[in-house]
Amino acid sequence: MLFKKNVVIPEYYEFFNSVKVISGYKALETIPFELNRLGAKRPIIITDKGVAQAGLVKYVVDSFGGTDTVIGAVFDETPQDSSNVVVNQIAAIYRAQNCDSIIAVGGGSAIDTAKGVNIVVTENTDDLLKFMGNYRLNKPMKPFVVIPTTAGTGSEVTMVAVIANPEKNVKMVFTSELLLPKVAVLDPRMTMSMPPKITAATGMDAFTHSVEAFIGTQKNPISDAFAAAAMELIRDNIVTAVTDGGNKDVRLAMANAALLAGLAFSNSMVGIVHATAHATGGVCHVPHGIANSILLPYGLEFYISKSDKSPKTKEYIENLLLHVAGPEIYVKTPPAERAVKSIAAIRSITSELKKLCGLPVRLSEAGVTEDKLESIAKTTLNDGALSFSPVEVSFEEALGVLKAAY
Amino acid sequence: MKAVSDYKEIVPGKKWFSTLVTRIFFFFIGMGMQTAYRIDPDVRKEVDSWPETFSFRMAVVGGPSMIMLKKAGSFQYLGEKEVFYADVEMWWKNITFAYLVMTGRISVPNAVYHNRQFVRGSLIYTMSVIRVLNVVQTLLLPNFLARFYIKEVPKLTFKKLINRAITYFNISYGAIK
Repeated sequence: MLFKKNVVIPEYYEFFNSVKVISGYKALETIPFELNRLGAKRPIIITDKGVAQAGLVKYVVDSFGGTDTVIGAVFDETPQDSSNVVVNQIAAIYRAQNCDSIIAVGGGSAIDTAKGVNIVVTENTDDLLKFMGNYRLNKPMKPFVVIPTTAGTGSEVTMVAVIANPEKNVKMVFTSELLLPKVAVLDPRMTMSMPPKITAATGMDAFTHSVEAFIGTQKNPISDAFAAAAMELIRDNIVTAVTDGGNKDVRLAMANAALLAGLAFSNSMVGIVHATAHATGGVCHVPHGIANSILLPYGLEFYISKSDKSPKTKEYIENLLLHVAGPEIYVKTPPAERAVKSIAAIRSITSELKKLCGLPVRLSEAGVTEDKLESIAKTTLNDGALSFSPVEVSFEEALGVLKAAY
Repeated sequence: MKAVSDYKEIVPGKKWFSTLVTRIFFFFIGMGMQTAYRIDPDVRKEVDSWPETFSFRMAVVGGPSMIMLKKAGSFQYLGEKEVFYADVEMWWKNITFAYLVMTGRISVPNAVYHNRQFVRGSLIYTMSVIRVLNVVQTLLLPNFLARFYIKEVPKLTFKKLINRAITYFNISYGAIK
């Protein structure tokens, strides 16, 4: 009975994810077999300098030992903000080296770049702009394997890529089920070198994904199951991941949590927290995980303040308590206090991370200046995530959330 | 056991009533958008921010559609024209979903939340188109009905009533013409 109320079956929903997930110790070793299964024998590896210098690409290259699969090329110069110029450059290498598949090794930027390369080589084009937006792709993509080296974005199971076009000064967003990788590989070796602050920020990014997925407007029993598991894994492991980064079990738990959160939010969508976080990143270049971590409690408070418009959302926030604080606290807390307590539980996690590694809990601590808040609020209104907010959000309301978080 | 020749193909029915109702609603929305651009400053501001020759299509997969085009200082309803490309396209996945929404049995926000429709094109422009559609729906529908179609219905003002009357007049004129 305790949990029955927490399962919500909408009158209609859709859930989709086709990615094969491989998780565990030495999981990388199975990549040649998986490529072979997909009919590929010559992958290109797309990564960045940081990942290469940390020796992580070597683990991937070594996994091909003893097989007849040849690595066509390794591109390790992906910049932090991926662009169509880099995508075209990699596509040229892919074609020149006769590659037949793509392996992305890295965080959001390397994975998004690889998704962009897949569009370019599949559609045989050099103009990504033509395919910008939702559902502009039609052809089945090349075999694509993703190995995340951060435990946060969940990009290994999402159907979105964001790539900048510096010439036109736009951030191109691509959304299509065809962008989903064929295989996602979670190997704890790949996230062990992450420094504590990045571990905290990316972990809170995944936490925000799972929280927003759990209260999202497209939530369904499947996304709820993934979101709940992600929240519980992060709640139990994020602090240890920051203090004891060499702990393989904890690293694997966090990598799984990020993937589960990605599965959840790519189907139940996100809302005001992501909309304001995207805008904060766009205007003030605050890393996405940090912006999400700061804005999460304020976004939830906003929903509670608008509970007359969407009482269900408040109910979902009450149900969050079970997963963010655990069953004992959930049972001890009267239903009327659960929503507020859920937010307090999230704040206690971010406060502890602040003490441990300096993770900002206010926008002012993340380099945002007060004069930028209006510009961020204006940008928020054009963010796609807002169309999935359960309540209408005005400029003044978005500004209110940002001022509270400042 | 039946012979192979006994297995006949099944040609799907037409669902003509749902199609007719959806087509009428598309006409109302199209004429409403065209009128709103002329009389509502918020809509004008949004549409003016779009590039010249910006096009918006609302359609049902395998069913009726309507297209709007921004051109030379106007925002025109072009009816049900065949086009290969529109900058923003809002598709209903089938005629039944469109019919249920058009007749108010599923609210527009719920249809979005349920994934009963999808959008093709730039997300930034999509948000702007959604804001325009919200205003258009408040012009087309009395407040007690508008709540089925948009998340938050604005307060009814005298100006809104006048604009609503102009919209109805333009739609009637467009229908006669």
